[in-house]
Amino acid sequence: MGSPKKWLNKKWLNKKPLLVSAAVLTATAGIPFAVYAGTPSTVTLSVYIGYDANNPQAQANLYNKTLIPLFEKENPGIKVTWSYYSSSTQENTELQTAVATHQGPNVFELGTTFIPTAYATKSFHVLSAADWKAIGGKAKFFGPQLTMSGPNPNNYIGVPEMMLPFAMVYNTKLLKAAGISKPPTTWTQFVNDAKKMTNASKGQWGTVIDPEDSYDPWKIVWAYSKQLGSDFLSPNLKKATLDSPQVVNAMTFWFDWLTKYKIVSANDLTYKNSDALQQFENGHIGMWVFQGPSLIPSLNQSAVKGEYAFAPLPTVPYGMTSRPKGGTPTQTIVSGQDLAIPSYTTGATYQAALKWIKFITDPKQQQELFNVYGDLPVNQQAYKGDAALNTPMMKAFVQSEEHASPTPFSGDWGNLETIFAGVTNKLADELATNTFKPADIASQLQAANAQVQQSLQ
Amino acid sequence: MVDQSNVSISAQSISVRRDRRTRNRPPYWMIAPAVFLLAVIVAAPFLVSIYTSFTSLNQYSIGNWLHAPFVGLRNYISAFTQGSAIGASALQSLWVSVAFSLLTTLCITPIGIVAALLVNTPFRGRSWVRALFLIPYVMPVFVNAITWRLLFMNGWGLVDKVLAWLHLASVNTFWLIGPNSFWAMVIADVWSSWPFIYLMVLAGLQGIPNDLYESAYMDGATQVRCFFSITLPSLRPILSLALLLSTLNHFNNFTLPFIMFGTPPSPQADVLPLNVYVTSFQTFNFGLGAAMSLITLVLMMIPAYFYIRMLRLGEATT
Repeated sequence: MGSPKKWLNKKWLNKKPLLVSAAVLTATAGIPFAVYAGTPSTVTLSVYIGYDANNPQAQANLYNKTLIPLFEKENPGIKVTWSYYSSSTQENTELQTAVATHQGPNVFELGTTFIPTAYATKSFHVLSAADWKAIGGKAKFFGPQLTMSGPNPNNYIGVPEMMLPFAMVYNTKLLKAAGISKPPTTWTQFVNDAKKMTNASKGQWGTVIDPEDSYDPWKIVWAYSKQLGSDFLSPNLKKATLDSPQVVNAMTFWFDWLTKYKIVSANDLTYKNSDALQQFENGHIGMWVFQGPSLIPSLNQSAVKGEYAFAPLPTVPYGMTSRPKGGTPTQTIVSGQDLAIPSYTTGATYQAALKWIKFITDPKQQQELFNVYGDLPVNQQAYKGDAALNTPMMKAFVQSEEHASPTPFSGDWGNLETIFAGVTNKLADELATNTFKPADIASQLQAANAQVQQSLQ
Repeated sequence: MVDQSNVSISAQSISVRRDRRTRNRPPYWMIAPAVFLLAVIVAAPFLVSIYTSFTSLNQYSIGNWLHAPFVGLRNYISAFTQGSAIGASALQSLWVSVAFSLLTTLCITPIGIVAALLVNTPFRGRSWVRALFLIPYVMPVFVNAITWRLLFMNGWGLVDKVLAWLHLASVNTFWLIGPNSFWAMVIADVWSSWPFIYLMVLAGLQGIPNDLYESAYMDGATQVRCFFSITLPSLRPILSLALLLSTLNHFNNFTLPFIMFGTPPSPQADVLPLNVYVTSFQTFNFGLGAAMSLITLVLMMIPAYFYIRMLRLGEATT
């Protein structure tokens, strides 16, 4: 054998460049396929789920040691692999990539408010009657959760997996110290109670706002708007209604907590959800609205452990004795995780996906998911005989779910969320720099409404 | 009559020369895999971006993106006229990015040079100090961003507390929203990126011959004179390169404002990469996002042109 230089100069190599390159590339490119294809008789199902930041090890154990081995044992010939996204950003990007390239995971776990966007891509299977039968029927699920599965019962793409009804978390110690016996049921009581709990000199506040968060502000303003009888979009989804008097009223009420009632700190203007959580965990906040059961593991490791409880949101708008005409007792959005199957999953893999969805939404697995995530089961049977799911704290969420309203099923909802976050951001900017005028709320919402209207299809 | 033996020798020598040429020719085919990968990873997405920028690709058409409606130059016009979620157009974000990158580079340059000069001459514990200087640079950007977010928190953040204690500003100075968010971003970035200039200058300092300083001192030059007449001119090539790379890096900084302010950020901190990201991936306006990316690319070509010219100049002089 000659020196490397001589070997490289060999004529045969110079004559067959493309052949060699192609061989190298083909060999390299073939590796992943060889790993994932499995044997011809095996169907490999890849599942894409959200990352559990509170307890990643428990999540890994749940999938690797409990769910997947049991499913594979019950369904010989199906191999399940799983991967996760650690943020809504990653969830978004992975979905966009899969939809554009027609390849990727076989089952997506998607947030309920993201289902309309997924539906708009026309890249997910609309489940047939036979599919629902294979999953175990629609009747096993909490009714409100199905309202976010598709635009109408004949066009469902999402199957509820876990539900995350929102409620109000409150500090029982602060509530008691302020002489309040039970959490408020009207927004007037809420403001009055928050005033009683506020002690600015001690850094203690009745409640908290997080206008820099991308998601919290719209949820609160939207629920209050629903109680006033409005929404962000018209029922036929053709018209943006962010500039309606009810939405302006709702947004004004939210910022009034700072400007008028002084029940939140001015520091909150820069807060995102994590900052507000930190303040609540340090015992500085009396009540925090629109929070879900996934908060519980974190709260149990904080200074407020054993000193907090959940209650459904008030349902009567501020200064009123009952809801106005058209108002609904909305206490939460229909929230949680759904499972959806992309159109490129076909044949035996599609059938395997349906089996996986049935398996994961059956009572036993639903209880397993609850034990790890803290998110509530969507299968009504899962609550029977499970003490952990029938505590007063859990009952507050179940009660909230009974008054859950679906957000408009529009493919432009994601865009609306971002634009709405821009409005709260700008108003917070103005408040921070002392340039805020109350009329700005209406004008900013009007501008946002025009922007949303432009994108509606 | 032609001498056949001469013809044969001549043909033989031509054949030998041809063989030698063939043998000496660099095996260009060996770069074929790299060229192929570049085409797949760089060229193909670039061409797709150009195509996308002329379409109204969004969530409704992404499933069949090759057939997204063609809209001509509409996205390019919208990029400069239409506001993002917070009302900042690409033009406004462009100015934020330009100001941010130039200002940051301007701030880190003297810091980096002074730091490099400090540790250039031997002293006890020099290696420790050199390692210490690199900490901000090796720290992950998201850790840096979260730390500065906490420091800049209104009311209870360390920055507000220290400024209030020194009677320089109110304890309620907002840094994460409003006009100050730009300065918060600059301060955080200066803290994390000055070691880049420090590293480059330190490398440049190693290459300056000691003889030059010895001759200058013999001629009675002061240290200041030596710095301006020997050190700085000798550092000029590497410093120019460092400044260019630094400007480009800061212009493209996405992670720092993304973590520090979230989305959407205040208009004063809405740098172009963040604006493009929000437009493309949060509001699903991929066509507009692609147009904004291409505008960014064209703008970035300007400093890149000077950078490439500088490298060519380096080749010619060596």
